[in-house]
Amino acid sequence: MKQGIKLHTINTNKFKTNLIAIFLSIPLTRENVTKNALVSSIIRRGCQKYKTQEEISKKLEEMYGAEFNCGLDKLGKNHVLKFYIESINDEFLPQDGENMLKQSIEILSEIVFNPLAENNGFNEEYTNQEKENVKQIIEAKKDNKARYALFRCVEEMFKDKPEGLYKYGYVEDLENIDAKNLYEYYKELIDTCKIDIFVSGKLENTNIEQLIEQDSNLSNLKEREPKFNINRPEEKKPKQEANNIEEKLDVTQGKLVIGYDVEASKEEIENEKFRYIGMLYNAILGGTATSKLFQNVREKASLAYTASSSFSYYTGNIFINAGIEIENFEKARDIIKEQMEAMKQGDFSEEDIENAKKTIVSNIAGISDEQDTEIIYFLGQELSEREVSLEKYVQFVQDVNKNEIEDFAKKIKINTIYFLRN
Amino acid sequence: MQVIENLKVKEKVYIEKLKNGLIVMIIPKKGIQKKYIIWGTHYGSNDSKFIVPGEEQVTEVPKGVAHFLEHKMFEQENGRNSLDVLSSLGVNANAFTTNTHTAYLYEATENFYEALDEFMDYVQHPYFTDENVEKEKGIIGQEIMMYDDYPEWKVYLNALEAMYHSHPVKLDITGTIETISHIDKEILYKCYNTFYNPSNMCLVVCGDFEPEEILKEIEKRLIEKKPEGEIKRIYEKEEETIVNPNVECKMEVSIPLFTLGIKCIPPKQKEKVKTHIAIEILLNMIVGESSKLYQDLYKSGVILNMPSFEYEFTDDYAHILVSGASREPKKFFDEFNQEVQSYIENGINEEDFARIKKMIYGEYVKEYNDVANISRMFLNDFMRGINSFDYLEEIASLDIDYAKQILVDNFKKDKMLFSVVKND
Repeated sequence: MKQGIKLHTINTNKFKTNLIAIFLSIPLTRENVTKNALVSSIIRRGCQKYKTQEEISKKLEEMYGAEFNCGLDKLGKNHVLKFYIESINDEFLPQDGENMLKQSIEILSEIVFNPLAENNGFNEEYTNQEKENVKQIIEAKKDNKARYALFRCVEEMFKDKPEGLYKYGYVEDLENIDAKNLYEYYKELIDTCKIDIFVSGKLENTNIEQLIEQDSNLSNLKEREPKFNINRPEEKKPKQEANNIEEKLDVTQGKLVIGYDVEASKEEIENEKFRYIGMLYNAILGGTATSKLFQNVREKASLAYTASSSFSYYTGNIFINAGIEIENFEKARDIIKEQMEAMKQGDFSEEDIENAKKTIVSNIAGISDEQDTEIIYFLGQELSEREVSLEKYVQFVQDVNKNEIEDFAKKIKINTIYFLRN
Repeated sequence: MQVIENLKVKEKVYIEKLKNGLIVMIIPKKGIQKKYIIWGTHYGSNDSKFIVPGEEQVTEVPKGVAHFLEHKMFEQENGRNSLDVLSSLGVNANAFTTNTHTAYLYEATENFYEALDEFMDYVQHPYFTDENVEKEKGIIGQEIMMYDDYPEWKVYLNALEAMYHSHPVKLDITGTIETISHIDKEILYKCYNTFYNPSNMCLVVCGDFEPEEILKEIEKRLIEKKPEGEIKRIYEKEEETIVNPNVECKMEVSIPLFTLGIKCIPPKQKEKVKTHIAIEILLNMIVGESSKLYQDLYKSGVILNMPSFEYEFTDDYAHILVSGASREPKKFFDEFNQEVQSYIENGINEEDFARIKKMIYGEYVKEYNDVANISRMFLNDFMRGINSFDYLEEIASLDIDYAKQILVDNFKKDKMLFSVVKND
């Protein structure tokens, strides 16, 4: 649309709904992380046209329950503020001429780009209430023990780095934020961030560019040289020995998380294949019900109900999670280590690889059956400046071979063992 | 095949009752990559006391058998685990147990028919040994312990315990470590043979299918079985009163969690859908996003998020649950109570009613976006004797007087209880 602002349209007739998303991406920093969380929660409270949440809600209900949603995501070194509206396609409404898509674009852009402001600041009452709200969200970080354990492991691995930040920010940073300085920050954010607008739905008879241009909030946005980090994993420095961390909380079941670094060279990381090799490695290790971890930790040793791994491409890590009985810590850790070693030795078959490919390919085929999943996939491509279509994605996965997975396995080094217990 | 079409969402469901008693429902979705199949038996955690068709005496089994069976069904005589087989075909397989039914399912974009071979084979061929039953106790034990760490689960279960005197809906679906210790392979076979008869089951498929073709594929894979007579399920007579209006429990949480429960009279078969819609409208009016109650409580900091709410019902019980987090849970309870009384005394605002009705219509339409959602919804509704399309049909004619009557009949002060989980 303009420099730094991009419109993506996905024309599909699979759904009863249209989904519109606006993503604001900026570099993740300790200085801004709490402010972003607060901005995202204040602007949903009211805009110039609908000054209160009650007015916004009533308008959305009137639009056959159009659904507004917002969220925050940490994608590599970027913080992404996400805003969505989902509304029914006119074809499925009891009466004609509603033009739900136009109404949806209007209300979404109004909430994101024209928030309620007075005397050059956000509304005082909203700011204070949302500070409380964000504080509560930050404090609730310990409520889900499994998620908390994973976060703590990541935090330990990325001390003082953007990747280790908590996406909702920090309680102590809330104090110095007020309605005025936050509004200043918000204006700067809107003028400098990367903006991506996605529209997905049955759009064949709609001139979507025109709808966007006619929207005053969107047409008022300035050109910008967007500040954001292109999402690629970094080269890792070899680590001498694993960091062992034990933390106590009131849990019945112990939560074990082990974080590994993928020590690949810059050249290997830049190669597009890196991501797909990592996905396959992960699927064989702990990504499916036939994976080594699921089979050996859960099924054979009956040690856990959950035992799985995940590959974080943006940060270049593998994480293993298991919920286990506290006294079984050593046993589980040793079985996990054995599985990692087996991967290094190439102790997996062509059949394992084929099965993993089938699972991944089947997931890719399903991406376009879910509106939000498809949008998030293309956002990921956008932020890493790649343009891999879903067809090409399948091809990349199919092309990975056993040697590449074994090579990948050899680059994996343990970084942190985190255990949450009572 | 019987065909029912809905013109609002422009979808059709094809229904066939086979000779062996199995109900098959097919919802074709042109152009969608995913194919979803779910096979449910009308047998859930509530069914632990029953009379096997043809027998006279009552059979009683430990709590948690339905869920245990679900876990064990994947194990095959040839030593393979069907979940692994399905997984290696690249399909997404799973199973779950609710209070009223158990369901097996998978979602595929490729290899649907190869997976169908395995899927229909394992559900029809149980294989239990003393050894594999013992081993499962360890895994389920871990699952039970995992749930013990979820305060959301605790606050919910406590509410049900405070609501029901004897109905098994108040118990954990998994059973307890103690009850599952009594399970053996004879019990599992007995329950399997009773409840996994085709005449007690329903199979739903959704995706890009030709209805006649997929029906043939399903029939081809069914083993010969005769339909059985009615299974008599025995529940102790549940009193209309609640057990306890207040329950509290201590757990580590950053903010107290609450579940407000209201015990209702189960709706008659013909009234189920209308009652359900009316209660959804009422709950949205009373405590939904645009409600005065929610807005006031949010502004004063009593609650920080919209509470979630649901109406749960079968033939023999029904209740409303409103759950959320609050620094002053008692205040939420009192204000909710007051708001309900004020609705009963002052009536319902027509404008609000019309707006919320539009919104609920939209919610129903959205359900048809996803094959998994559609299949689960049709199965779940079938288990309660409902065709899912009825919600889209009934909502238009639902009027404000009906909603008022439902309000008075169901939101009773002396049937309301409050469960809280907090730090100290």
